[in-house]
Amino acid sequence: MLIDIRDVYKIYNEGMESEVRALDGVDLQVQRGEFVSIIGQSGSGKSTLMNILGCLDIPTYGDYTLDGTNVTELSDRQLARIRNREIGFIFQGYNLIPELDAQENVELPLIYQGIGPEKRHRQAQEALERVNMYDRRHHRPSEMSGGQQQRVAIARAIATHPAIIMADEPTGALDSRTGRHVLEILHSLHQDGSTVILITHDNSIAATAARIVRLSDGKVVADGAREEVMA
Amino acid sequence: MKIGQALKMALKSLSTKKGRSFLTMLGIIIGIAAVIALVTYAQGQNLAMKALYDSQGSNVLEVYAYSYSFNGEDDVGQRLYDYCLGLEDVVGVTPSGYLNSEPTITYGAKSLTRQRNYISMAGAAVISESVSGNDDDHYPNIQLGNDKFGLCNNYQIAKGRELSYLEVENMAQVCVLGSDTAEYLFSLADPIDKTININGMPFRVVGVYQSKSAGVNVGTDEENQWVVDSIKYQDKLVLLPSTMTRYFNGNQPIDQYLVKVKTKSAVNDVVTKLNGYLSGIVNTNSGWFNVSNPNEYSAELDKEDAMQAVFLGIIAAISLLVAGIGIMNIMLVTVTERTREIGIRKAIGAERRSIIVQFLIEAAMICSIGGLLGIAVGYVAAAVLTKVFFGLVIMPDVGITILAFGISVALGILFGLYPALKASALQPVEALRAD
Repeated sequence: MLIDIRDVYKIYNEGMESEVRALDGVDLQVQRGEFVSIIGQSGSGKSTLMNILGCLDIPTYGDYTLDGTNVTELSDRQLARIRNREIGFIFQGYNLIPELDAQENVELPLIYQGIGPEKRHRQAQEALERVNMYDRRHHRPSEMSGGQQQRVAIARAIATHPAIIMADEPTGALDSRTGRHVLEILHSLHQDGSTVILITHDNSIAATAARIVRLSDGKVVADGAREEVMA
Repeated sequence: MKIGQALKMALKSLSTKKGRSFLTMLGIIIGIAAVIALVTYAQGQNLAMKALYDSQGSNVLEVYAYSYSFNGEDDVGQRLYDYCLGLEDVVGVTPSGYLNSEPTITYGAKSLTRQRNYISMAGAAVISESVSGNDDDHYPNIQLGNDKFGLCNNYQIAKGRELSYLEVENMAQVCVLGSDTAEYLFSLADPIDKTININGMPFRVVGVYQSKSAGVNVGTDEENQWVVDSIKYQDKLVLLPSTMTRYFNGNQPIDQYLVKVKTKSAVNDVVTKLNGYLSGIVNTNSGWFNVSNPNEYSAELDKEDAMQAVFLGIIAAISLLVAGIGIMNIMLVTVTERTREIGIRKAIGAERRSIIVQFLIEAAMICSIGGLLGIAVGYVAAAVLTKVFFGLVIMPDVGITILAFGISVALGILFGLYPALKASALQPVEALRAD
């Protein structure tokens, strides 16, 4: 079991009148090598869930075991290490650093791993080749289209060879054709053995995954094969 | 993350915002440049003052001694003179006397007089000195001395020679002139062996001293201007044999002597000996004596320098504090502005420490680049200031330079620390939400 979260709550302003239960007792298990779509309306808690799965946030209650490690007990520093080595993030807004060119952006997580420049350049260029962005490796984000930026972001996510790729509405800001291309890349990464978690509000995009988890009001309301959930 | 990489990253971040980086540096540049230039200017001033005091003759004691019980040939001065000649550390001793009257000096058509006018102002008598002669700036400074007068007062002979021992002994009618007096009376002619008249009495010129005031510069400090004036006054010298006091001062003995000591370290010893000797021969009921110690004065001077250094240090500290707060301000703005970047960096695995190091290095880099520029500006400013005010280029002290640079880097780290800690404490989720 790669991901195992049990009875996870994320509660804001707990005990106050304005209390919000973003996650309200969520259980989710993901095996290594799976491609899982998490689908839900805006406000269903899917982004909160992704933040917790990606170790960007910690649950108010509940346990999260990642590859055998109980993440809720880890220090800031250990969490940073997990984000760096085990998880590759792809965000809706790309989140590239504007002052750095494509290759420098891709190298950033490798820098934080302490990898030397030569090996770093090679790994970054391999990742850029993988998303077909090698030719534009010296372009800055402002010099690229949305689809190109997202491909660079994917390259950054896969450059460290993480166990899990987490994509939060990766096609949300793209036109449908570019979006499809990005999805194809995610699927090809999956075919090469990566575990992919895709978060979306779009049924048709979610439906490209074999397994779908549907969230509503912070609860898992459906979890199973595409055919069952979409039915 | 390695330090080399962090340095590269910081440099990149600064170079993408050159304008703002430079404005942030400006405070540091001005602060450091001002510190270096001011300290060097002060050093130049102290140097100039020291040189000036030395030019007046270093290690010279002023001795006053007078006793009513002595008179005529057997005055206290003669005994003091004889005693000093027996001291091993004394290289010269001369009477240092003035005329009680204000005689007129003439040579051909030119004359020099110094007159004291008594002006009554609102019932109070005020003494003002005015000068008559062809020019307000020319008046004589008549002094009585011996063959060692030049040595003790640090005069150098330009033409001719000093008074001789025998001329002094024999009350010879000879004189040595200061450069200003010689120039006024003789213009371009050679004064040697010419005869001037003092109150109608002829005196043969045997020597002319070099100018003391040429090239003297003590900066803009008004407080030091009197030093320049007093040096110019020395160039108006007319030196007569000390024995002439019998003629001009009605046989009144000279009560002031200058004693030149071989080395600074011997000064205190000679002062003690002179005090001991004088207390033996001067009865304080009917006379008095005083021996000045130039070491005490130079210690006083050193103390003033130290106080000036402290004062400058405080000004420098305040200006650098202001610069530091400016840096902290900018770094705080930078943190806010770059919250999203910090979030991204954290999401892809930057540890707290990496973020702290990144911001600290940026702040330290701003300050060290600013410090280097400040040092460059300070060197130029110091060179210009000292050239203009003291006529020689004084380079800033290496220690001061290193200290200034160290301070600017320390400022960067000190005032960068709070923004860096603030940046590192951001939660990645919160930071990513910012825009």
